Amino acid sequence: MVDLEELKGKFLNTEFASRDLQLEADNLIAAATASGESRPEFVDTAHESFQATPAYLCSISSGRHLPVDFPSLGGIPMDGGKAVERFAPVKAGVPLTVKAHLHEIYDKKGRSGRMIFIVVRTELFDADNAHLANIDSRLVVREKPDS
Amino acid sequence: MSITTIHDVEFGAELPVFEPDTSLANVGVFARAVGWGGPRFESHEGARKEGFPGALVPGIMGMGFLTSAIHQWAPVGQVEHVDTVFRAPMLADTPAIISAVVTDIDEDDGIVELDMTVKNTKDETRVFGTARVKLPLS
Repeated sequence: MVDLEELKGKFLNTEFASRDLQLEADNLIAAATASGESRPEFVDTAHESFQATPAYLCSISSGRHLPVDFPSLGGIPMDGGKAVERFAPVKAGVPLTVKAHLHEIYDKKGRSGRMIFIVVRTELFDADNAHLANIDSRLVVREKPDS
Repeated sequence: MSITTIHDVEFGAELPVFEPDTSLANVGVFARAVGWGGPRFESHEGARKEGFPGALVPGIMGMGFLTSAIHQWAPVGQVEHVDTVFRAPMLADTPAIISAVVTDIDEDDGIVELDMTVKNTKDETRVFGTARVKLPLS
């Protein structure tokens, strides 16, 4: 059985990936419109606060799901959910920096075994290093029973 | 009723039901826009070859449906935080029903908390979550 305290001590709150990117307005509009969004700030580039929807932000990745030396837990990580916290608008066509770290590791035990939850936090910053948003990806791994 | 200030919100109020477009074509538009285009989200046959029952609606599109429902209910509200759990796959070309209920109101800070679900027509929950929405004080 994996020792979660050991994993936490080794991996939590340590940046494991980063990259720079820019969002394209056409993609923001297409994703927003397909989601049923009609507010101008999400579908009209002429709006003074044109920006990405929370759902679009969830598609932004650091390029890695987990640290390169993170151990295998015996199962395939599944996408258990996403969360977004927004501090300022995330706009198209401006330089952004994405940084990722492991924010939380915890487990839940049931009759069918133990599930391990790994929360990867992706932070978005603008060129002035202003913190724009956090995106949490919840990976779920069904632990392989000891044989 | 359209919500314009925090004082318009009632505890326990249900948001108007929102039925999103889950057609395969629309799901494909979303998937390509977020860089996830491919058989899993754009082709029933292709998704079945990957072991799925049909083309999937991306979980984050479910989040998009939820925030769109919030924005329709409160056109000036700002979704500060949204947290969604992907409980089971949503299938393209299968109707989805969005519902949400007000679970907390902070009239001093203009904050509303919502519980939200995406269900299929069999009343099975596919996605559920919470949202924190900021509304004007006056």
